Amino acid sequence: MGLAKYIIRRTIYMVPLIIGISLVSFLVMYAAGDPIQLATAGNPSITEAQRQFLREYYGLNDPIPIQYLRWLDHFIHGDFGKSLYGGRPVNEIISSLIWETAKLQIISILLAFFISIPAGVYSAVKQRSAADYTVSSIAIFGISVPVFWFGIVLILIFSYHLGWLPSAGAHGAPYLWPVFGIKNEFLDELAHLVLPVTVLTFANLAYNVRLLRAGMLEVLRQDYIMAARASGIPERKVLYKYALKNAITPLLTLLGLSIGGMLAGAPVTETVFSWPGLGRAYVTASLRLDFPLIMGITMIITIMILIANLITDLVYAWVDPRVTID
Amino acid sequence: MNLLEIEYLKTYFFTEAGVVKAVDDVTLSVEKGSTVGLVGESGSGKSVTAQSVLRIVPRPGKIIGGKVLFNGEDLLLKKEEEMRKYRGKKISLIFQDPTSSLNPLFTIGSQLADIVIEHEKVKKDEAMERVVKALRIVKLPDPEHAIYQYPHQFSGGMKQRICIARALLLNPELLFADEPTTNLDVTIQAQIIALLKDLQKELGMTLVMITHDMGIVAEMCKNVVVLYAGNVMESGSIEDIFERPHPYTEALLKAVPRLDETRKLISIPGNIPNLIDPPSGCRFHPRCQYAIDLCKERKPPLEEVGNSHFISCHRWRELQGGRS
Repeated sequence: MGLAKYIIRRTIYMVPLIIGISLVSFLVMYAAGDPIQLATAGNPSITEAQRQFLREYYGLNDPIPIQYLRWLDHFIHGDFGKSLYGGRPVNEIISSLIWETAKLQIISILLAFFISIPAGVYSAVKQRSAADYTVSSIAIFGISVPVFWFGIVLILIFSYHLGWLPSAGAHGAPYLWPVFGIKNEFLDELAHLVLPVTVLTFANLAYNVRLLRAGMLEVLRQDYIMAARASGIPERKVLYKYALKNAITPLLTLLGLSIGGMLAGAPVTETVFSWPGLGRAYVTASLRLDFPLIMGITMIITIMILIANLITDLVYAWVDPRVTID
Repeated sequence: MNLLEIEYLKTYFFTEAGVVKAVDDVTLSVEKGSTVGLVGESGSGKSVTAQSVLRIVPRPGKIIGGKVLFNGEDLLLKKEEEMRKYRGKKISLIFQDPTSSLNPLFTIGSQLADIVIEHEKVKKDEAMERVVKALRIVKLPDPEHAIYQYPHQFSGGMKQRICIARALLLNPELLFADEPTTNLDVTIQAQIIALLKDLQKELGMTLVMITHDMGIVAEMCKNVVVLYAGNVMESGSIEDIFERPHPYTEALLKAVPRLDETRKLISIPGNIPNLIDPPSGCRFHPRCQYAIDLCKERKPPLEEVGNSHFISCHRWRELQGGRS
């Protein structure tokens, strides 16, 4: 059918895109410097011959096109190579961190999405009321406040002063965090999630609420809303069925972008909360010029964004019958 | 008996620029089973009057006074949930632009069936059958198929038929048609007018035709109410209004282009006034060729000057004398 054909065609289009992005990333990365020099700069006992040996060992002496083709060959076979630090396979590093990042991000993105719906609708309906100003102020605060500052303030209050919640990491094991005196792995995991999820939800929420409020204000002026009211449709249904579906498209775009970019989305939050995630690993890898790891994470993020874009387009067509896919 | 009586209705819009007195002391009555024309220029308060009856005036508009008696009961005193049961069920409204008044993201069947479900607590299948029946009444081709289609798949004329079907779904006693043909092609206009006329006759419905088209008024209506700047200038039978018109109605009639006359089209000088700060006295006086000082100083009352012929004008009697 048309849909399957469309998905296949879009997937084929992704191939040149992925190759292009990988090529550009590869070149930019090589322009950034020499990882061996960077790693050994602080070590006075290392000799130039040893450096050469390391470069030779990691294949960094070959011409860049050869290196790129070698990387591409491995990538096509699903192998991202080994990290320059510790020699762990990149595939293994990514798979050990991806879940922690995804968990944090998916919870925050969905929480922000579902909280923003009643908040956005309410503040549009009560436009220019005290409630609207309150919601809008909180939203502006969420947009303006830097994530690292807000994270540290939360740690200061809830971890340092009150001692209610852990300040770092995703797991306490082997020392489980007691929740109301109960110690088990699930509650421990939950306790570790609270602060970083709060920070991320707050940051996402702000944009969602502003977008939905603007969309609702536009939609509520439309004749079909007055027509629904004139037909005796109850107000709740007018708002949450007939108006919301029309106002929610920008929010779906943002949701698609957030889900697509989520793996790269929160390096700052992950750093503040020492979260063992991909975002933090990405930052560390970039600072160390850990080429295989940088490329690996970049490609994972690229593929995620492309898939999320495709899904967003499919959702559009599903929500709005006027949008046709072909 | 009168199905609808509006007394001294005031609906104001509280905008940042000031209070817009869109409907100010409007008084009119609609006889059961009749077709009444509600006439006036854009911004005269025709649509807001209809919206006030249904109590769906959009923000920042607010009904601040008067009575809306429907079958003798004041709708302005009803609780919101009680009022909801009147909307679409006893009183319906057809909008000017069929394209913007149908929700683009829902199928025709689902958005119309919802109305039946909300009023009559029936199952979805039964509601859909009612929708198909209503679509058949408005002569929409292939209604069984149409219910699964979206608004953008229909032409403007077909969409207006669907909107009429939506208004008629629950056999309302009173139907407001708010310039239902303004946004349609001329040929389609004639079809829609013919359809409304037939339906009104067949269903014995009371119809309030909101329009600025005197041709439609002459063709369809028995009685006419003429609004200007939120005030009723004149109301009465079609004969009264065409033969012994208020100075404003007279100017309005002269502004209708006609093919069989060679006279120049006469437009009314000036513009519809700013309703934040409306003219003193008679609101039409700055544009009225007969205006005297009294018109500027005192607002003329709406007086019965003949059998059910009401006029709000200081000089009408005197002018009639001069004319005959």
